[in-house]
Amino acid sequence: MKKILAAVLLSGLVASLVAGCGPTPVPPTATPKPVGPTATPAPPTATPVPEPVTVVFWHTQTGVNAKALDAMVADFNATNTKKITIKAEFQGNYTQLYQKILAAIQAGSPPDMAVAYESQIADYMKARAVIELDDFVNKLPKESLADIFSGYMETNKFPQYGNKMLSFPFTKSLLSLYYNEDMLKEAGVRIPTADKPFTWDEFEKAVMALQKKDASGKVTQYGLTLGLDASTIDGWIYSRGGKLLKDDLSGVAFNAQPAYDAYALVDRLVKGTYAYQTKGYDYQADFGNKKVAMFFGSSTGRPFVKAALTDKDTKKEKFKWGITMIPQGDPAKAVTVMYGANITVFKTTPAKQAAAWEFIKWFTDTPQSVKWSITSSYMPIRKSAAENADLRKAWETDIQGKQAFDMIQYSRPEPNVRGWQDARTFLEDALQSVISGKAAPKDAVDTAAAKTNKAIEEAK
Amino acid sequence: MTSQSYRLLAPRKRARKRQGTWQLRLARWAGLALIYALLTLGALTMVFPFYWMVSTAFKSIQEALIFPPTLVPTEWLWSNFREAWEAAPFPRYFANTTFMASASTLGTLITTVLAAYAFARMRFFGKNVLFILFMATMMMPFEVILIPNFLIIKTLKWYNTFLALIVPWTASVFGIFLLRQFYLSLPKDLFDAAVIDGCSHFRFLWNVAVPLSVPALITVGIFSFLGSWNSLLWPLIVTSNPEMRPIQVGLTAFQSEAGSYYNRMMAAATLAVLPIVAMFLVAQKQFVEGIARTGLKG
Amino acid sequence: MPKLGDLLFKDTVGLTPGAKRRYWSETLAAYLYLLPAILIIVTFHFFPIFYAFFISLNKWSILQERFVGLQNYARLLWDPDLWNSLLVTIWYALGTVPFALAISLFIAILLFQNIQGRGIFRTVYFLPNITSVVAAAVVWGWVFNAQYGVINYFLELIGFQPLQWILEPTGVFKMFLENLGLNVPEWAGGPSLALVAVMIMTIWSAIGFNMIIYLAGLGNISKELYEAARIDGATEWQVFRKITFPLLSPTTFFLLVVSVIRSFRAFDGIYAMTTRNGPAGGPLNTTRTVTVYIYNTAFGAGNPKMGYAAAAAFILMAVVLILTIVQFRYVGEKVHYE
Repeated sequence: MKKILAAVLLSGLVASLVAGCGPTPVPPTATPKPVGPTATPAPPTATPVPEPVTVVFWHTQTGVNAKALDAMVADFNATNTKKITIKAEFQGNYTQLYQKILAAIQAGSPPDMAVAYESQIADYMKARAVIELDDFVNKLPKESLADIFSGYMETNKFPQYGNKMLSFPFTKSLLSLYYNEDMLKEAGVRIPTADKPFTWDEFEKAVMALQKKDASGKVTQYGLTLGLDASTIDGWIYSRGGKLLKDDLSGVAFNAQPAYDAYALVDRLVKGTYAYQTKGYDYQADFGNKKVAMFFGSSTGRPFVKAALTDKDTKKEKFKWGITMIPQGDPAKAVTVMYGANITVFKTTPAKQAAAWEFIKWFTDTPQSVKWSITSSYMPIRKSAAENADLRKAWETDIQGKQAFDMIQYSRPEPNVRGWQDARTFLEDALQSVISGKAAPKDAVDTAAAKTNKAIEEAK
Repeated sequence: MTSQSYRLLAPRKRARKRQGTWQLRLARWAGLALIYALLTLGALTMVFPFYWMVSTAFKSIQEALIFPPTLVPTEWLWSNFREAWEAAPFPRYFANTTFMASASTLGTLITTVLAAYAFARMRFFGKNVLFILFMATMMMPFEVILIPNFLIIKTLKWYNTFLALIVPWTASVFGIFLLRQFYLSLPKDLFDAAVIDGCSHFRFLWNVAVPLSVPALITVGIFSFLGSWNSLLWPLIVTSNPEMRPIQVGLTAFQSEAGSYYNRMMAAATLAVLPIVAMFLVAQKQFVEGIARTGLKG
Repeated sequence: MPKLGDLLFKDTVGLTPGAKRRYWSETLAAYLYLLPAILIIVTFHFFPIFYAFFISLNKWSILQERFVGLQNYARLLWDPDLWNSLLVTIWYALGTVPFALAISLFIAILLFQNIQGRGIFRTVYFLPNITSVVAAAVVWGWVFNAQYGVINYFLELIGFQPLQWILEPTGVFKMFLENLGLNVPEWAGGPSLALVAVMIMTIWSAIGFNMIIYLAGLGNISKELYEAARIDGATEWQVFRKITFPLLSPTTFFLLVVSVIRSFRAFDGIYAMTTRNGPAGGPLNTTRTVTVYIYNTAFGAGNPKMGYAAAAAFILMAVVLILTIVQFRYVGEKVHYE
């Protein structure tokens, strides 16, 4: 009897729950609405017969660059003869894109093609998610391959994965030294060029000569500003003849004199208030405000720098400036760092992979490469770009673009082994501790080296 | 916190008898003046970052990057807002975000009321254990369960659907905990008057508890709404269709190309913050006033 | 810790058969009420947590590599990075929770008085809380900017040296005491100035939330109690100590528990404020809380160690769970429910 009563009460409760609450709390999980994946399924076979193929391309470009990229993608979609449709989708910044791809790999549904840094590609490859491009690349004509700056090819070959090419250059730029020409002249410092860069000794003297103080002893003009950026540190080490990794990739080689000297220089310059630290991209602002004479930065930053030093009323540049080769240990063997992102193709269907490559091939061909570098301020990846009339015309106003282009031949990529991402953090931490006076330069470098060795060991 | 300020709030009754009226007025006036002074000072501190955001957003880059800074822009420029506005399809993002946030708020309110009531006013097997288990989910950093959650979305075939953006956020342990505390603070006699059985629980909940806790419900609703409104990583991960993106993505899109253009960055931040501030200003009467009048016996 | 069995069955001890039956039927009803919430929470919280636990038992970078049992946990116990970040987290909690609670209680009481313009004040105090943490962090990063920041401008106005704020890894105790000419070792330096900058933003943003909850709690206190107390001639301080504070204790307790949990898993604001300057959690890891550490380990910008990160997350969860249980046991018992 009581059981029946309980049952009645219970059903009453259910009824009242359902009837009384307005919107019924039906478990929403009960009605999954199946929605297909973004891409239309591609034919499973790798036939060169033009079947329509859609390739999803995840990128990070925004603003003007995104518009330029979309226009180029539309151009490709309209003109290619193989019925390929590229769907370019913005997926946040590099970190967000990376996380999204990590999640997608776990779920077994990566995009067809994406933008990535070398270290990220090495991670994707550890999960066997990206494909080797060597077969495609090797089909390019010899002269076409030779036209691409060798460093750009080198950086996409991964020694941990049999030196296979896992990606192709996309948005490339160079570590450069930005200088305020007027200040340098005023201080009696020689203007460095790509052919005749500063030596490191010369650079140190220049930074010191460029410092200005007011009557009270307060610094009103600095010689140099420093941000925490591992690529810059790598450039310092390269340019002093140093190596980052051992040849067999078993560990680091930067715990040696070149890095010790580089960090010691920072220590001296900061202690003497010739140099100071800035956050994010603030160095661009300080440079434009004539607070500092020089900084290390990416060649891609030049539109920002240009805007920062353009007077808003007269629309004229407030001073003469330039970008050039970073200081060198031996100017005869000058070297700087090349960086930037690449396009990588994920393991999908042979048809999609081939279609993705078609796009990459088209995008990196001279006319497109030139077009992209003019709108985006990234470097063209081909030597032949220099002969292009459009680019020459663009360089007339973008003098620094030409200055950067002249350095590409001297540029070298950073390591792309797994674990190097951690090394970047450790090198930056070491720089911060030297700038903050928490560690002696040599100790800071040695600590970073020990930590990196551990990270590389663990990442194997 | 000093006892002084409390004395000043309302002069003691006994004192009232002893003192003349002018002294009373003076004390009351001084107390009020102190309250206003403190509140105004605090309010200025709270508002200042907003002011700084908006005023920087109106400055030219040259003016934004001078030191000492100008406290009021010498020239008010709209161009930063225009550029930020053009960087992303904000109206579309705005509509998406509003839909997403409203739907998950509605869901949250329903699940929260029912669950909180059960935890507060019902005796059942496994109550404490279940409550601790619920609470434990609050302690897991979202970043860790991000990928497992994504796998579930994939399994349910919800990728690139609004379901993925809404359903996981239709229950809130925080909200359950908040409302449970409110239901616990309902006077017992109110509750004891009702006969305790399955049916009247619901009637009590619907007729008494819910109406009394409207302000608390609005609070839960607002926090749920804000949570959805301000989410960034999850929507980016579970959708790839640009048509479905929420407003915070617009902010990120702009931020990554802003460099040292603090004026533009502040303009984008203003655009991301403005709609929710406007909505709040419209709703604040119900929200804040409602909460203040929650007197159960009043 | 109480035994699970006690927790589960203590309600049925000593009940008559009839009462027991009612208890079980109420249990059924309760689970019906809980069903929608349980469905969502099990699917999108419990299951992922179990899955994360499974991940934590593996060497797992992006995909599963091999099962290692508790090895990740064992290694974590000897990982100075974890302990260092736990210390940062504790500083962060200590530097935010008590201040945010005290300030917001104070403001809530002021706002509960019968004054003009309450609505405006409440709105203003609440505004920071509705702002997305990411947008707020962008703004505060700008306010604290070492070169052009308005805070440094104010400091100069009142005759102080500008500070590096988010770039400064030195502990604030050390900075303060060394100004007085004392020599302080690194380990006693306290939270870094960078972390203090993050704390300031956190308090700014938390005040509104706490205040609203406190206002709601204040509204629940019967007016007659106050009137009776005043007729008895109680001072305002006595009223606060004997009536307001005890009767607000469920609210305070709720806020305490929630604030501690939130501060232990705070992420977005710290990340957004510190990431534009080298790795998140800088300078020199002095703002790297456990969640930031977990994030950096799990995704960062490369070389993911998801198994290891998941294990760290469970250690964090255990710490917070213990803290919460302690709060429920020792603070919760003092809570006065009407």
